[in-house]
Amino acid sequence: MKYVVRRILALIITMIMVSFLAFAAFHIISGDPARAILGMNATESQLKVLRQEMGLDKPFMVQYLNWLIGFFTGNLGISYSYRQPVSELIAPKLKVTLLMVLISFVIIIVCSVPLGLRAAQKSRGRLEWLRTTIIQLCMAVPAFFLSILVSYVFGIIFKFFTPGDFPKIEKDLAGAVKYLFFAAVCIAIPRIAMAVRMLKSTLIEEMEKDYVRTAISRGNDRTEVLKKHVLKNSLVPTITFLGQTMAEIVGGSIVVEQVFGIPGMGRFLVASISNRDYPVVEALVVILAFWVILSGTLADLINQKIDPRLKLGGRA
Amino acid sequence: MKKRKWNGYLIAGAIITTIIVVWILVGRFYTPYPPTKMSSARLQGPSLAHLFGTDKFGRDIFSRVMQGSGTTLMIAALTILIGAGIGTIVGSITGYFGGIADEVLMRFNDALTAFPSILLALVIISILGSGKHNVIIALGIVFIPSYARMMRTAFAAQREVNYITSARLMGASSARILMVHMLPNTIHVLLPALTIGFNNAVLAEASMSFLGIGVTPPDVSMGYMLSEAQGMFRSAPWYALSVGGVIALLVFGVSLIGEGIQRMNKEVD
Repeated sequence: MKYVVRRILALIITMIMVSFLAFAAFHIISGDPARAILGMNATESQLKVLRQEMGLDKPFMVQYLNWLIGFFTGNLGISYSYRQPVSELIAPKLKVTLLMVLISFVIIIVCSVPLGLRAAQKSRGRLEWLRTTIIQLCMAVPAFFLSILVSYVFGIIFKFFTPGDFPKIEKDLAGAVKYLFFAAVCIAIPRIAMAVRMLKSTLIEEMEKDYVRTAISRGNDRTEVLKKHVLKNSLVPTITFLGQTMAEIVGGSIVVEQVFGIPGMGRFLVASISNRDYPVVEALVVILAFWVILSGTLADLINQKIDPRLKLGGRA
Repeated sequence: MKKRKWNGYLIAGAIITTIIVVWILVGRFYTPYPPTKMSSARLQGPSLAHLFGTDKFGRDIFSRVMQGSGTTLMIAALTILIGAGIGTIVGSITGYFGGIADEVLMRFNDALTAFPSILLALVIISILGSGKHNVIIALGIVFIPSYARMMRTAFAAQREVNYITSARLMGASSARILMVHMLPNTIHVLLPALTIGFNNAVLAEASMSFLGIGVTPPDVSMGYMLSEAQGMFRSAPWYALSVGGVIALLVFGVSLIGEGIQRMNKEVD
């Protein structure tokens, strides 16, 4: 229990640090938000009124605290280019990206565990070099190149979906999931390759331990020992890796959304960066950073739960 | 110590990488056609005259890729030089001396790694503006934390090793201990990390330019060409295929080298 509290405390401190860094950076670069909203022709008195309204005349720390409170109460400020509340703009896009990331995550888990097990079992086989080469090749293909190929082959030749015509989630959930599936595969493939590689080396390391040799020499089935004991003992690094994956695929989605024309967070982020729409960029950056920190903490907490050895401060 | 033996991965990786790098370097001085010269031979498929075909302006794709990959290669190399260079300096100092500076820098490091790498690069670009030099700076900064952390561990592990304490007793200066005695012993960690970092840099540059927030014309890079190629995918699929193929082959070759080095280290252990 104590560990959980400590971990959550660390989580909150990191979040505050990250949000402060982001706020400070954008505070410095965004110049005068009042002028950015009102445009070049605004008079000095108009600017003054808006600055007061937005709280820009207050000290820096007060502004930061106001912004932080706003962040958690859903008030993320006003977009420069759309003149709408940032939260209203972001919410529907967040939903799309979240759905895509979840699909991608499921694909990664479903594919990498059996493949990793097999790779570990056959690690001394004659085709080991071929497997390693395929893994390296999958990691070498850039996600956006893969996306271009997939959207061409499955979208234009086989017509499984229409590239650029993303159905609304509320109206056509099945259609949206089908569309997102192909994008999710493109995000997943390099990650699957990494996961298989990681699983393989973890499993092989575990299989060289004494208890495995004992279990096998006592006549237990090799595959059963692998599945029941070795896999269980390799769970901790695997879950840490999945935590990182959860964080990484959000970053990867930025490019893939662009190719597939998916109206998600990544595409919005890129557009906002080009438009210098700082309130939007700021909000998205902090949301993404929180997502990364959360996935890491979650992985740690799960590990703690499944492996009591970690509680004693030892390493599994 | 056992003799280090080159393995198949290392040889294959070295061959692939060397061929591509030489090809790219040649592209700095000579291309079969001027890369930006338009001609009436539009949208032609690969042939002997145009190995990778031509695009919708009649430009020779082979020449374009040759030149564009040069930009990507240079950005990736400089990025790694900045990232690994500063990362090693920070890591060696914090790892060797420890103390408050170590604590503070590592916490700061933690906060930086909370941002997905491409996101951090995008934020820095949104501050600096796009363009070749800013991409190098942005990616360089992004790569510092991971190298710093890794090198810190590598240096800290040697802090109390016998040959280091002996060197200290002999009166060697800290700078000498760090540079002459410790640094060479971190090579086995640094080399594979350099290959991984290089690949990440190539892919990151390509994604950024692909998104239109990286290299800006007149500079051309792989990512920029891919976004160009995506627009003509239906009429000239060979454009995207050749650009993507060259990126994938380069990354593949370098990662084979990394795999080879790691296996070689394992055998020596």
